[in-house]
Amino acid sequence: MKFLIVEDELDLQESIVTYFEKDANICEVASDFHEALEKVELYDYDVIILDINLITGSGLEVLKALKKRKKSAGVIIISANNSLDDKLEGLDLGADDYLTKPFHLAELNSRIKAVLRRGKFGGDETIEFNEIKINTKSRTAYINDVSLTLTRKEYDLLVFFITNQGRVLSKEIIAEHLWGDDSDLIDNFDFIYVHINNLRKKMTGETAKYIKTAYGSGYKFINY
Amino acid sequence: MIASTIALYFYTKNLLKNEVEEELFSTEARIESAIKINDISFSLPPVIEVVEVKELEELFLKDTLIYDPSQNEDEVFRELSTFKRINGKNYRITVRNLVVESKDILIAIDVSYFIIILLVFLFLFYSNVEGNRKLWFPFFKNLEAMKNFSVKSEKQIVLVDSDILEFQELSNEISLLTNKVQDDYQNLKQLTEDVSHEMQTPLAIMQAKIENIINTNKIDDDQYKLFSSLQKDIQRLKQLIKRLTLLTKIENNQFINIDKVDIAASLGKTIQNFKELFNLEIGFQYKHPLFVSMDPYLVEVLCNNLISNAVKHDVKKDEILVSCSHNSMIISNSGEKQIENPEKLFNRFYRESKSNQSTGLGLAIVKKICDLYGFEISYKFHDARHIFTVNFRI
Repeated sequence: MKFLIVEDELDLQESIVTYFEKDANICEVASDFHEALEKVELYDYDVIILDINLITGSGLEVLKALKKRKKSAGVIIISANNSLDDKLEGLDLGADDYLTKPFHLAELNSRIKAVLRRGKFGGDETIEFNEIKINTKSRTAYINDVSLTLTRKEYDLLVFFITNQGRVLSKEIIAEHLWGDDSDLIDNFDFIYVHINNLRKKMTGETAKYIKTAYGSGYKFINY
Repeated sequence: MIASTIALYFYTKNLLKNEVEEELFSTEARIESAIKINDISFSLPPVIEVVEVKELEELFLKDTLIYDPSQNEDEVFRELSTFKRINGKNYRITVRNLVVESKDILIAIDVSYFIIILLVFLFLFYSNVEGNRKLWFPFFKNLEAMKNFSVKSEKQIVLVDSDILEFQELSNEISLLTNKVQDDYQNLKQLTEDVSHEMQTPLAIMQAKIENIINTNKIDDDQYKLFSSLQKDIQRLKQLIKRLTLLTKIENNQFINIDKVDIAASLGKTIQNFKELFNLEIGFQYKHPLFVSMDPYLVEVLCNNLISNAVKHDVKKDEILVSCSHNSMIISNSGEKQIENPEKLFNRFYRESKSNQSTGLGLAIVKKICDLYGFEISYKFHDARHIFTVNFRI
């Protein structure tokens, strides 16, 4: 996949690049408004990660330029501004998703995957991983074509794991993904273990082994 | 005024009486001398009567009623009877004078006096009141403006100018003071917003870097634990910022989307979410939808904060009860003892114990939302339960 990361905070830009290059993606960067505008007009990308609070101009203008040229890139806005108006304006202009800083890279990754799924398969949204098959439209999961009965949280967890395979997911990252950042209950992450254990039980036998414990308290979904 | 009118009445009455009597005496003297010179007695009843009598008596004055045929009624006369011996004959000379007219005059004088005094009094009273009103108008107008002044509003205070030096100075000082207070308040608010906003990016960088580190395979379990706990701290900061921004936004009146929202449905959704996530049992009772006009996002925040507060402080597990009536909702959880400072419960950063790591803003936000829409929130401890009631005042 070809990524364009539009972010004028170079440290953040670099971290995002590091994270996504691991999956053998090609990451290009734009560090200011004009560079972003130029690259968007010249080249094609699969995914554009767009900071809308650029010092030299608004990322929303980049988005407009992109849509004017009818480019099909998936666009995810990242913004330090948690205002609903900005969010709605971005989505109205054709952005596919909106993330407020600070965010977990795993969360960004999972959002990107979702955007790509919707873009590539035009409604028939499936995720496949060996014998696991997930239909994201009907929110159902199958192992060897046998349907799994999952709660909503278990289903979310499974999708999150598969889209972030090979990555270490700490309980903080998982908690925030499941709960959103509205919770004021951060001293209690025990509920994560309960959900993961239940998921493992339902996945049974060999399949459950994909979910590995990392560093004692984190998790990693890997193809063993 | 009445006393002076009464005094005037008696004074004039006395004056008129003396006048009448003087006239009677002088008439009598003239008659007497006329008799002396002409030696004839004449009468003109009822005004003058001269009668020969045998004996002389003391003179006397009296009031008498005499029928006056010309006016067809009894009139009051003042009568003077004197006994004189003139030219060797004894005479009784009686003169009378009509009193009625003098009484009418008396009343006329008194009434006109009273009316004049009354008019003067009214005139002075109203001119005084009007004068004072004009004089104090800028003062009261400015006082009213000060009462209506709110630090939170961005409107500047509008004061009336005055010709009076002291009032003008006062209003100048008020203008200066209120402008300064408003500026300070705006700056403070802006600071909260700016700081919150500026902290997001460094936090994002920290979080991204930590995530890259834990994915490098170059760390051991202990280091991972440290990084994981750093993630937790970042998340805490993040929530703190988010809540502070929310508080500021509510204070700034930035939630202007008003919708009819069903509180019962929102509670149901929140409860469902908590149940799924934490494997909890939460009792929920409601009969009808409860529609309230407010921002849909704030409804979520309201329900979420109250229920998460109950979940956090529920000492026995699964003892949370939520109910929703036609105009209020009640959220309660089990507790050991009454909280120590219930009046501080809704203050920002107030915590009963250091043990939990909540932001300390959840209930402050709840209170702010209630204040914004004029809802009434109350807390009580009853039967070993912490009970929060929100009355929507419908």
